Amino acid sequence: MDLEKLRKTAAEIVSRDDVKYLIGWRPGSFGYRVSPCFVQDAAGAEELIFSPLCASNLATYLTLVEKLPVPRGEEPDRRKVALLVKGCDSRAVVQLLVEKGIEREQVILVGLPCRGVVDLNLLQQKYPEGLEKGELSWQEGGFQLIRNGETATIPREEILAEKCRLCRYPNPVLSDVTIGDPVEPWETEADRGVEELEQKSVEERWDYWEEQFSKCIRCYSCRNACPLCYCDDCILDRLNPIWINRAVNFSENTAFHLARAFHLGGRCAECGECERACPMNIPLGKLNRKLAKEVREKYGYEAGVDPEAKPFLASYNPNDPEEFIL
Amino acid sequence: MSAMLLNKDQWSAFVGKLAGEKKVWAPVKRGDIMRFEPLEEGAVPSLDFANTTVPPKTVVFPQTETLYRYRIGQAELAVPVLEGEAVLLGVRPCDARAMSIVQKLFRWDVDDPYYLKRREAATLVGLACSAPGTNCFCTSVGGGPASTEGLDLLMTDLGESYLLEALTDKGKALLEAAQDLLQEAPAGAVQEKEKVVGAAEKAIARSVDTTGIPQGLPGLWEHPLWQRTAAGCLGCGTCTFLCPTCHCFDIQDEVEGFEGRRCRMWDSCMFAEYTLHASGHNPRPTRRERTRNRINHKYNYFVQKFDVIACVGCGRCVNLCPVNIDLVEILRQVKEAL
Repeated sequence: MDLEKLRKTAAEIVSRDDVKYLIGWRPGSFGYRVSPCFVQDAAGAEELIFSPLCASNLATYLTLVEKLPVPRGEEPDRRKVALLVKGCDSRAVVQLLVEKGIEREQVILVGLPCRGVVDLNLLQQKYPEGLEKGELSWQEGGFQLIRNGETATIPREEILAEKCRLCRYPNPVLSDVTIGDPVEPWETEADRGVEELEQKSVEERWDYWEEQFSKCIRCYSCRNACPLCYCDDCILDRLNPIWINRAVNFSENTAFHLARAFHLGGRCAECGECERACPMNIPLGKLNRKLAKEVREKYGYEAGVDPEAKPFLASYNPNDPEEFIL
Repeated sequence: MSAMLLNKDQWSAFVGKLAGEKKVWAPVKRGDIMRFEPLEEGAVPSLDFANTTVPPKTVVFPQTETLYRYRIGQAELAVPVLEGEAVLLGVRPCDARAMSIVQKLFRWDVDDPYYLKRREAATLVGLACSAPGTNCFCTSVGGGPASTEGLDLLMTDLGESYLLEALTDKGKALLEAAQDLLQEAPAGAVQEKEKVVGAAEKAIARSVDTTGIPQGLPGLWEHPLWQRTAAGCLGCGTCTFLCPTCHCFDIQDEVEGFEGRRCRMWDSCMFAEYTLHASGHNPRPTRRERTRNRINHKYNYFVQKFDVIACVGCGRCVNLCPVNIDLVEILRQVKEAL
């Protein structure tokens, strides 16, 4: 990874008058953690990193920003926001464009071809996380971990994140400037998580999800981490009427998770943020990928790959299968 | 009968004894997460953890609690009968301290019968820390690996056996009930415990110097650090829901047909609808104000009111934040800005 070029490009972008800030990653406060950072000036760009630890999808921050009413006599800040995007992150941005959640002129995309990020849990199991910072980089066949002056090589399949095992878009599908050479897409594995569930009986599947949803504490980190959960008026925050009770039990938790999953049908960019953010390790990616698979196989539609596409649920094709209509 | 030894061979028998008398809650592992659950018959809890994912506050302060049930059109309210006595096994000293701290609030202007009754009915069996977690900083906020505040009994792992020290009458009663499994602790056992605890204290790597923070926070109201911290915050409830001292709740009615219940449920100051006024006005309109509130509540308001910091340094919020919002780091910046 050419960090120097990344930082130089970022510094140039944030120096422009029409740019508010650039959202990127910087080393976190301890261990393997990485923080999102909002670079405002050229000096701030020196902090930027891009490594296999940069799993988070920064596109979330495009829609998460809270806009207070503009005081009378003042103009709204219409400067652009620049963003570092991996392949999956760029799919989220494309989907936002398709849905007109953001305008193309509002964003500058710095594309980063990605060889796959790591699953923090798997890394922690192999090399327990301490306070001392660990640096991870890509190398042939896997990753290199440098910690306390010691170097370790970790085979790729041991700690690669599940979303990356299934990734078909390692290169950004949309960007204004790209840092580094395109990555050769790898042969993806079968989606074992979804296939295993598909082979179960309805009762077994119900039991599986009952166990998973019963763990949920309804912190809504999955919703908030998702770049495509950005309704101004989310049904979960509604107090009058209350659509989904705040009470935490299997019934309400299931209502919440079904609503969340269905709202992402034909929209999910498969960035895996919901699952990564979940403190209770609920495998939400399986739900999302199952829906994406149905949409892909039945309707030949894939979310977040073509900025000119119509939203899945707002498009009509006379050839769509309709076997569910009796 | 105040310091006894329990040989580890007798651990399952000891647990069985407790379970025979009272409902026992203990850390249960579900996949990668750990939380306190009622112990199933014959189950033996593992005490191999630094900190449970979900703190044991759930036992005395359930995430959702029915205050009463009613039928529309009728005046009678049905108040649920609270469960009987319970033993919480394997509570870390920080989590027990958190219960003492939170109790101050539930005892404040009005006694909260639900919380206090549950707390009263609970016997807390603590487990001193011998291997603190990466982000533990209890020693900076008035606690320690063998802090006894809030506990009835403290267990310390001495390798082959556990040292059991009764701290209250409830703790003594537990020891008496299990006395045929225990032996009088030899004189050296307490010194051995001191060694374990001393080593644990040394192993705590993170620290915060809190002096001046409660007094200084009001002066930092408009400081840019809040905007800086909140910029990356997702606004989810992970840090507050999994905090052992966070105690905010909302009260809502759930009605189906004519049957209704009034219940209270955890609320989080990081949520957008928290303290949203009926008028539509929100005194904390963005994550900047909400982040500022989280820190101020723990390190300023609570100190002013109850003279204790409402943070026990368990490190959960730091460990579990998906975007590395680090409380210790925020406090370092606060300190720097003073």
